[in-house]
Order: sequence, then C-alpha cells, then structure tokens
Amino acid sequence: MRNSPKSSRITFIILRYMRRPVIVLITVYAASMLGWVLIPGQDAQGNPAHMSFFHAFYFLAYTVTTTGFGELPQTYTEAQRMWGIVSLYAGVIAWFYALGSIVRLVQNQEFQRSLAERRFVKEVSRLSEPFCIVCGFGNTGALLTRGLSDSGMTVVVVERNPERVQTLFLRDYRAQVTGLCADARIPEHLIEAGLLNPHCKAVVALTQQEEVNLKIAVTASLLNKDVLVMVQSTSEDFEEILATLGNNVHIIDPFQTYAKYLAAIIENPAIHSLNQWLAGTPGATLDQRTCPPKGKWILCGFGRMGQWIRKSLQSQGVATVVIESGPLAQDTQVDGLIPGRASQENLLKADIEHTSGIVAGTDSDSENLSILLNTRALNPDIFTLVRQNRYRNLEVFQAARADFIMVPSLVSARRILFLLVAPLLKTFFETLHGPTFLARDGGLNAAVDILSRTVGGTQPRLWTLDTTAPGALPRVMRDGKAIVLGDVLRDPEDRNRRLACLPLVMESGQEPVVMPALTTALRPGDRVLFCGTPHAVRLLEATLNNEYTLRYLITGVDEPRGYVMRWLTRKFAAQGTPA
Amino acid sequence: MNLERVIFGFFIVLALTLNFGFFIGEIDNPDHHSIVEFFFVVVVNLIATGLKLGDRSQIGAVLLATSLVADLQLIAAAIIWAVAAHVSEVGMIPSVMATIVSLAGGAMVANIISVTMLTSETLMLRR
Repeated sequence: MRNSPKSSRITFIILRYMRRPVIVLITVYAASMLGWVLIPGQDAQGNPAHMSFFHAFYFLAYTVTTTGFGELPQTYTEAQRMWGIVSLYAGVIAWFYALGSIVRLVQNQEFQRSLAERRFVKEVSRLSEPFCIVCGFGNTGALLTRGLSDSGMTVVVVERNPERVQTLFLRDYRAQVTGLCADARIPEHLIEAGLLNPHCKAVVALTQQEEVNLKIAVTASLLNKDVLVMVQSTSEDFEEILATLGNNVHIIDPFQTYAKYLAAIIENPAIHSLNQWLAGTPGATLDQRTCPPKGKWILCGFGRMGQWIRKSLQSQGVATVVIESGPLAQDTQVDGLIPGRASQENLLKADIEHTSGIVAGTDSDSENLSILLNTRALNPDIFTLVRQNRYRNLEVFQAARADFIMVPSLVSARRILFLLVAPLLKTFFETLHGPTFLARDGGLNAAVDILSRTVGGTQPRLWTLDTTAPGALPRVMRDGKAIVLGDVLRDPEDRNRRLACLPLVMESGQEPVVMPALTTALRPGDRVLFCGTPHAVRLLEATLNNEYTLRYLITGVDEPRGYVMRWLTRKFAAQGTPA
Repeated sequence: MNLERVIFGFFIVLALTLNFGFFIGEIDNPDHHSIVEFFFVVVVNLIATGLKLGDRSQIGAVLLATSLVADLQLIAAAIIWAVAAHVSEVGMIPSVMATIVSLAGGAMVANIISVTMLTSETLMLRR
C-alpha cells in the first residue's frame, strides 16, 4: 500500500480535532440519559414509572438536536421538566461545540493539503497512458504543458506556488492535466507524481532555481533509470554534474540552443522558415526568408546569452562588438569591449551606423526595448534581435517589431516539446546540417522545396508512426505483404493520389534516414516521423487504423470482409484458374 | 463496382424492406401480417448477419451488433408466434399479434440503423 501513510495522516488529523468534541458529546448524552432513567415519573393513573434507556435516548434524539418532535410518552413531573431543561441546553451546547470543531477541521490547511495530496496520488495511480511530469509551472512550464496537452500527452505538474497550481486547474486542456502543490526537491513528491509508474515517460525540471532542477534530475534518474530527464540549466557547473548522469538526461539551455540556431540561420536562412513552420508559429509559411546579415554585429549585454551568441557568430566568421555595463565573468577576455550601458553615446562609439546587426540581450526587458529604440534612431536599417525575458510583455515586443524576438521560456518549451513529442525531429535537423545530406538532392533547400510543394500552408502537423503500436499495420505486416512508405501515403479517396504528407525521418535499425524515398519498405520496429497538413495526418491515422483501407491502398483491391464472402471469393478464384 | 458490396448491400436493404412490409398494417389484426413474409424476414435477417461476420473494422463491429439485435427481436417474435399457435390454447388473438408486430417493429429500427450506417460508410469512401 503506497498511500497508507497519507491516509493515516488524514485519520490522525481527524482524530486530533474530533477527540475532545466526541468525548464531550458522549459524556453529555450519558449524563442526560442516566438522569432521565433515575428521575421517577408518573403514568396516567398516577403510579410511579421510570423511563427506560431506550425512551431516554429517543427523547434526547429529538430535543438535543433541536428537532422539536413533540411525542411525549406521558405527562412529565416537575422534576423531569427541570432535568429536561438541563439536558436540552447541555446537549445543544455540546453539539455546537462538535459542529464548530468539524468546521475548523475542514478549514485546516494541513488537512486540506493532505486531502488534495491523496486525491492527486489516486489520480496519478489511475493513469493508464504515457505521461510527463513537469516540475515548475512558470512561463516555460505553462507553455510546455499547453503544447504537450495539445499533442494529446497527459501531464502531471508539481509546483510549489499554490497560486500557480490554482491557475492550472482553471485552464482548459485537451489532455488530462493534474497538479500537486509540493516541493519537487523532496523525492517522495516525485514518487507521488508517478515517477515510478511504468507509464511515466519523462521528468522535466523547469523551476526558477538551478539547484532545484539539479536535485530533481538527480532524484529522477537515480530512482527510475528508464525515464527521460530534461533539465533547464544555464550554468556550466551544473551541466558538468548533469552530464555524468547518463544518456537519458538532456540539458536544456535556451541561450545555447538559440545561439546555435542563430548560427544555423546565418549559414542557411531556410532553417529559420522551416523551423518556424514546423513549430506551427501562426502565419509562418515555408517561403518566408529572414536573413540575418553576415556583417559586423553589436552585442548589448554579455551575460549567458551574449556569450553564447558571440561564440556562434564567431564560428560563422562574424565580427562582434560587446557593450556591457556589469563586470565580466572571470577568465573572459573580450577584445573591443565598450563598458557601460547601451546608451546612444556608447552605440555611436560602437560604430552603429556601419553595423549590420544588433542583439539586445540583457536580462531586463525595459533595457532591451530602450536599446531597440535607440538603435532605430541611429540606424533604421540594422537587423535587430531582441531578448524578451517576461512572457507577459508579449504585446510590447510585438509592437516594437524587431526582426527576431528571443523568448528564453519559449525556446526551452519548444525544444523540450519537440524532444518529447517528435524525438526524430532532432535527427532531422542534425542531418540537414550534416555533409551527407547536403551532398544528396541539393540539401536543405531541396527539402524545403519538396515540403512546400507537397504540404505547404501554415501550421503543419507532425506525427510519429510506430510500426509496433497496435493498429492495422502490424496485422497487414504479419501477412507478409511488402509495404512501402508510398502505399501508406496514398489518398484513401483516390488511390492514385498522394496525401499532403511527407516522411521526414525514418528510423529503421541503426541509421536514421532523413526524407526517405517513398519506395522505402516499412519493416516491423520502424519509426517514421511524418509531416503533413492536419487533414492529411488525420486521414493517415485513419488508414493505419483500418486494415481494409490499408490493404486496398497497397493492392488496389477491395477485399471481401466477412467470412462468407471471403470463402466464396476463394472458391470462385479456385474455379476460375485452370487446374 | 464490387460484387461483394452488391450482395452485401442487397441483403441488408432486403432485410429492411421485408421487415417494413411485415410491420405495416393494423398492429393487432392477424389478417394484415402474413406468416410467409415473417418467415422471409427472419431468414434474410439471419443471412445478413452471416455476411457481416468476420469484418474486423470498427464499423463492421457495429453493423454486426445491429444485426444481432434485429435477430434477437425477430426470434423472440417467432417463439411467441409458435407458442401462441401451437402450444398454448390462446390462438392468434389480437394481443398476441400486437406483441409480435411490435417486436418486429423494434427489429426494423435496428435494420434502419444498419442501412444508414452502410450508406454513410459508402458515402464517406467517395471512390
């Protein structure tokens, strides 16, 4: 029994609160009843008569509870009436005391927390589908939870701030989302959140403090070796410790992620449109091209973001000038550093009029916005990249119309979401960069071309096909029919057409294949990441759930479904072929 | 055109039309409800059920379920008819006839659902 300590705690609280009222009630009842039995009464004929214990209790039952039910066995004597007054008042007071205690018990925060915890543990233990544990429900946590639930993944949230947990319950999610208000550093709470549950796929640590994230990652990977652990961390010291935890631990550093991304865009701008399009950014299409320039850049702010971006830009051979007001981190040497705030004076000193790009990357949103405005005044044509720290400042930053807006929480959430929902996408982007793909088929631009011709539009859907998952595919495969990717992607309405859907990555055995040809055979155990219009992906899922449609798409023959018709067809086929 | 679909659709629709033919008329008047027609209703319904056996798709399962409901209702009606006519001395009085026809009416609803599902599935295919 895993939850037995919890239920015993609840019993204990109830007992502690109710012990005295219950004793008072019992004593008052006992004394009153005893009085009624002992005080002599009279029957209708004037003979002495004693009340029985049963009658005494019956009388108390309707007087003390103030029900006022007026059935009297016989007229009372004066002594009995006196005792009636005493027992009524004493009883009513005892009841009020007991009710007051119950109210206090229900309002007790410890009691409420225990009840909520027990409800949560029950809910988690009933989960029968894969789920993720998200620790920390701040900006990133909320964005990630929204994304996960939109892709149908159940989420269990552990958050210390009770107000944030409340907002969780007020939101409307597509998949089941449960939350517990607790400190995720305590291993017991992670276990309650389902860490040891076989359906638990991943633990994501997204709290504000890096030490807390580290502790969660260590706990999770020690207690459950199979679970995927994602940690948001921007400090190098912690990353070293995390790296020792094994392959299942992924470190999410939004600044590093973004800097690498920036380098990739400078190398090939198509990466940006592809990424925005795949992430389903509203309005993002494949033919939009925003090109960060390769000329000189100014970096305002040289914290975690500035340092990573400088490294990335240097790797692309882009020269940088740094403006930083605070002291630099130890062992960092920066040539051409301009100390101070990014005022107009300092920007002019950095030769802004002859600079092609600027990064407003301090950890203050107002500072970043003012850098942006100063820059516009001095050089309206410059490429601007601005960091938006607080998600709630969204409208201001959109109004400021920077070329790129970097929101750390969004970068982290998107990266974690992709790793969880479409793990093959990582392979896709890594290979797009690699030399093998660039050599084949004209590389990235060709891939984008095919995607925009076949799928196009905005907000495509990503969907991973697992050939071992229950459905029509394993059954058809068992028949020994050869299935190629192109068969699955035929349009059920017209076999000769293809769905607006493409395989991005196929993982078959060891080597993943990016953009596999449609003639590639599907084998049991393969996983394929598809990208298509939402409608096409729905049709694809329907095909893979209906073995008759699937067989028709493969062979072009609508096979008989019932036993009788199958038998008849076989019989006629046997007669039709000459012996 | 697919021969299997023709045969399949033929029996399912025939089950409904025969069922309707038997059902229509004054509910308790034995003259309005022919035993021969009833016999064919039962037979065609059983054949339709047989054709539906073995379909592993979702819609196939529900089609089979509706067919089984119709069979159940019709067999119950047949048993009542046989008992009233031969076992007990009641004979085909109006109340017995009303019971049989109302059971057949229930079977007809199941057949209507069957035909509706068959039609909608065919419409959804669009090929």
